[in-house]
Amino acid sequence: MASAIVVGSTTEDGRRPVGPGRRHSPFHRARRRMFVPFVYPALAVYMLIMVAPTLFTLWLSLNRWAGAGPMQWAGLHNYTAMFRDPVFRTSFVNTFWIVVGVGAAVFAIAFGMTILLQDMAGRRFARAVVFFPSLVPGIAISIMWGYLFNPDGLVNTLLADVGVHSHPEWLAQDNMFKVILIGMTWLSSGVYTVIFMAAVDRIPPELYQAAEIEGASAFQRFRYVTFPLMKDVVSVCSVLWCVGALKTFEFLLVFSAESGALPPTNIWNFAMYSYAEAFNPDGTADYGIAAACGVIVLLLTGLLMVLARRVLRRDADTY
Amino acid sequence: MTKIKRHRGWGHLVTVPVAWAIVAANVLMIVWIVLSSLKSTREMALHPWSWPKHFIWSNYRTAWVSAQFGAGVGNSLLLIVGSGLACILLAAPAAYALSRFRVRSSGVHTALFVLGLGIPAQTMFIPLYVAFDRVGLVDSVWGLMLIYTGAGIPYALFLLTAFFRSLPVELEEAAALDGAGPGYTFWRIMLPLARSGLITIFVLQAIGHWGETFFALVMLHTKTTLSLSLYNFTQTMQYTGSRYSVLFAGLVILIAPLLVLYIVLGRRIIEGISAGYSK
Repeated sequence: MASAIVVGSTTEDGRRPVGPGRRHSPFHRARRRMFVPFVYPALAVYMLIMVAPTLFTLWLSLNRWAGAGPMQWAGLHNYTAMFRDPVFRTSFVNTFWIVVGVGAAVFAIAFGMTILLQDMAGRRFARAVVFFPSLVPGIAISIMWGYLFNPDGLVNTLLADVGVHSHPEWLAQDNMFKVILIGMTWLSSGVYTVIFMAAVDRIPPELYQAAEIEGASAFQRFRYVTFPLMKDVVSVCSVLWCVGALKTFEFLLVFSAESGALPPTNIWNFAMYSYAEAFNPDGTADYGIAAACGVIVLLLTGLLMVLARRVLRRDADTY
Repeated sequence: MTKIKRHRGWGHLVTVPVAWAIVAANVLMIVWIVLSSLKSTREMALHPWSWPKHFIWSNYRTAWVSAQFGAGVGNSLLLIVGSGLACILLAAPAAYALSRFRVRSSGVHTALFVLGLGIPAQTMFIPLYVAFDRVGLVDSVWGLMLIYTGAGIPYALFLLTAFFRSLPVELEEAAALDGAGPGYTFWRIMLPLARSGLITIFVLQAIGHWGETFFALVMLHTKTTLSLSLYNFTQTMQYTGSRYSVLFAGLVILIAPLLVLYIVLGRRIIEGISAGYSK
């Protein structure tokens, strides 16, 4: 941990300056000859599994295709049809809620926990416990979540025990998505708590001592020391959160109402929409629209990454 | 790191119990899942808080055999070990060459790999499904393994590049003076030095793939993984009525290995995950 001094700037790979002669030594020549055998097997698999399918999806999104037979050029028709589809619009709003709504809650909780745990005795243990749920696959958490909010599940039993009998129907159409959002918040808060705590640990204690001498209150210490020095980590985290949250899938999948079917359309997000357009058990496959939805996710991801890089470059507070 | 005593206000009397309450809730949740998996479904609903009257171990047998969790565990294990090893075997030499060989195109190649971190599964799955269908890799564990391997490469490469950069140059030069070629130097000297980084990556990928659902659902039809068994079982409950105790036994089968791994390798896992964010 002591070696982490500068955040946000990469150190050069070479410890010594590279003179003109050094690049051409037999040592370097031998290594350069090995570059292709070392790098290209990985590159080939990566291109085959990730890059080529992505490029094909871009092409597919401009065509009409049911998986077999000839493709039909459709131009931007898939995109316009998709944006007119009310289900897609619901998916859009839901995706937004997951990315922004849950994201804000997760970050607020993670900050809260970071402050709570900052100099508590037994913080390592506490940190380890809080982190564990985020390792558990989403499908397990969502199954348990569904059970807790079942009509005769634990939440209602608990409420009855304390004398509350008029509770909402948690898994009814209107409430289900809210219940899911809360579950996702719980699932994800642990990781960010741990990362924020690691960032706080790297802040030199002298800064806090100085603040103390100046008479800063606990809030002021957080506002003027902790927060500014965590900005980098927070912005990296927010990108990674967005990238991950855009893909949310299994947490919704488990809440399907009947066997073999997908969840009700009012809880769909982009991932579910895309999957359903391609593989809906009771519909025809429309690969073109599914691909168009995938392209939208890709574009949003790319946009977020570019945005975060710009934010990162602008204010790189180092310590 | 020197610990300084900070002035503590009254706020501390509130925050510490809140923090411990959250911690306790998380621990209780795990205990509650395990206890519930040993009750009958009826007892789970009627006495959710009580200690099980009789330990019904047969929930686990039912889960393992008739709910197909056993088959799921087998396939999931095969998938994570196979794809984890393949991914590292591919990514480690590439990361080494990209971070050390000082080839002019290293930057471009690294950037190309890192782009993969931003490619979501939704933009890949249709072409993969169509192509794998043509070559007979749909409903095949090997096909799914190939996808996990390829999709894991960017992340593994990203972490390993940083790791190899931190190793001293002198070792390679000394090896070269002794007549070792780049291949020998990598496999015999640098790779063993990177062991702890490799283990971290293997463990992180294993955790990620242990409960992977999206690609498994797309690619497998008759075969099953652990997460698919769970999902299928929740689906059959619509017909057979609630069998939550068996479902919870399945949850324990899914979670227990993670918990054991976490207790043994917790620090490595936590540091591995937070390292990716702070570089």
